[in-house]
Amino acid sequence: MERLFQEMADAVIAGLPEKASELAREALGVGMDPLAAIEQGFKPGMDVVGEGFAKGELFIPDLVMSAEAMKAAIAVLEPEMLRRKQQRQVLGRVVIGTVQGDIHEIGKTLVATMLAANGFEVRDLGVDVSPQRFVDAVRETNADVVGLSALLTTTLLNQETVILTLQEAGLRDQVKVIIGGVPASPEWAEEIGADGYAENATEAVEVVKRLVQAET
Amino acid sequence: MRANYQVNATPQFSVLTGDQIEEIFHAALDVLERVGTRVYGEEGVALLREAGCLVSDTDLVRIPSWLVKEALNTTPQRVAIAGRDRRQRLTLEKNKIYFGTGSDCPSLVDPYTDEVRKYTFQDVYNAARISDALPHIDFHMSLGLTSGVPARTYDRHQFLAMLKGTAKPLVITAVDREGLADQYRMACQVLGGPEEFAKAPLFVVYIEPSSPLSNSVEAVEKLLYAAEMGIPAIYTPCIMCGATGPVTLAGGMVQCLAECLTGVVLAQLKRKGAAVIIGGVESTIDMATSVLSYGAPEMVLLSAAMTDVARWLRLPMFSTAGCSDAKILDQQAAIESAISVMVAALSGANLIHDVGYLESGLLGSYDMLVMSNEVIGMAKRILRGIAVTPETLAVEVIERVGPGGHYLAQPHTRQHFRSELWFPTLMDRQMRRAWEGGGSQTMAMRVRAKVKEILEHHEPMPIPAGVEARLREIVAQADERHAS
Repeated sequence: MERLFQEMADAVIAGLPEKASELAREALGVGMDPLAAIEQGFKPGMDVVGEGFAKGELFIPDLVMSAEAMKAAIAVLEPEMLRRKQQRQVLGRVVIGTVQGDIHEIGKTLVATMLAANGFEVRDLGVDVSPQRFVDAVRETNADVVGLSALLTTTLLNQETVILTLQEAGLRDQVKVIIGGVPASPEWAEEIGADGYAENATEAVEVVKRLVQAET
Repeated sequence: MRANYQVNATPQFSVLTGDQIEEIFHAALDVLERVGTRVYGEEGVALLREAGCLVSDTDLVRIPSWLVKEALNTTPQRVAIAGRDRRQRLTLEKNKIYFGTGSDCPSLVDPYTDEVRKYTFQDVYNAARISDALPHIDFHMSLGLTSGVPARTYDRHQFLAMLKGTAKPLVITAVDREGLADQYRMACQVLGGPEEFAKAPLFVVYIEPSSPLSNSVEAVEKLLYAAEMGIPAIYTPCIMCGATGPVTLAGGMVQCLAECLTGVVLAQLKRKGAAVIIGGVESTIDMATSVLSYGAPEMVLLSAAMTDVARWLRLPMFSTAGCSDAKILDQQAAIESAISVMVAALSGANLIHDVGYLESGLLGSYDMLVMSNEVIGMAKRILRGIAVTPETLAVEVIERVGPGGHYLAQPHTRQHFRSELWFPTLMDRQMRRAWEGGGSQTMAMRVRAKVKEILEHHEPMPIPAGVEARLREIVAQADERHAS
């Protein structure tokens, strides 16, 4: 088991999604508890990469590839957890998307990847997402946090529209809102009544963790 | 199969065409043959007279073109040197670039008090340690002029401080022939003998003719000693176009080349095969202040053009960059460093010196040295050019990602980003909030922090205690000889 755990961590550190899926299947094959595989195998690898990034030794592609490996492993393990009626210890549920009128994808996708790799359950709605679709998804997933991305100064205004639509739907009190994107700022977050702002994907993980903890 | 396919492995840059270079060379030959040059000291004049030069007025020597041609034929087109860490090896040959400091600035800015004061032995040692720690500094010159030691023997003290501070190859200055001889003995002590020095000299000696067209006794004696002992010699002037040379840049080059070639001829007459490096500081006099400018665009252009000439002559080139007329590490210093470093790098000069000079060469700045190291890193990235191969064209990856996707999660990205991209160590690329959170550090503040970090932590490769004792003995003996 120790050998397998080590290989899982190594696969995440090396950022190898295929190797990570393979190890996840191997774990299921030998009857390993999928939760143990995540907690003692893959996650420690992600922690190592996170520390390396914080120290400036690793960079965004390292982080993203490791997150992809983490996601690949979870995708293999998830059905077995459902079968065992196990509830993975998720830190929270996040709905994320780029607001209406804006098709910029990468920032939002990075945040989604990093959140998923760090213990959140993420529903990525994609780009050009209407306020109503955000509201529907929040309701369906019982989300704790909704993330709104915008790259253009013109579409930035739609972050506020989503917040207003959440209010009208009576959901605003149940969900925290985090915003991001180049033209966004902490001041803008305050102005439109968002709960948080993050400058980049790693900061987003910290902010979302804080928002979720404040809620419980 | 492909036909007629050409590759630029690096960006291409030159100032002069072959025809222009040849015209400058012919003009320099004309000057040496008709105008002549003053050569002081008996040995040099005797060597030149015996070789067929016309000598008049005791020391005015006219050098025939055929003799210059003959001397060029026996001058090595490449020189290899190595530091006391023998792995730190530089091969000065066509298109290979190396950066290093300049030497003998009287003052420095104290990194802890900001006081402008004279360089001490300790400060010269610290300058060497900074060069030792910087990845883009390939060779070291003293940066500071050692005060507080006897003026007649300062060069031995200074050499000791440099040797202790860095294991990289050195370019030294010497008071005279005897000073050079003492430093040669010291180098042989460090390396374990003259054979090791001959294999890869530990230092190159910097010798300066006096423009226009004069060669002091000391310069000639040092050059002849270097030739005899197999010490590579830089024989280059500091020309102020408009004052000690013609104001037109081509004229400045003609005179500069004539002065360098005088050294080439003298060295070959002493010993065929003696290594001579040409080039120098070619710049302008500032017509408002009379200062020799170390930041002028003309200096940058002349250095690159002289490199074209040296390449055509197949001689190693000593060039100038990373220096400024600014008094402190300010915007002017950054502009002048960046432009001169980039152009010198593109030119392909071998020993590019004076990195760290401020105040037109009067202040050897730790800050300027550390900041310019970053500039050199950027320039080197540009020199690496763009590799065009099926792997780098990345069409497969573009196809895999498709419209609307992203590349950060592609193995191709992870495989190549470390070699394809340059990683800053001093340039700030944070977003404003993070930058403000870190104390809104300006470039000058970040540079100073790095200087202090090096001074407080960098340990150069040690010199064995027994060897250091013998070095100190040579220095003490020199002091004694000159005390009486």
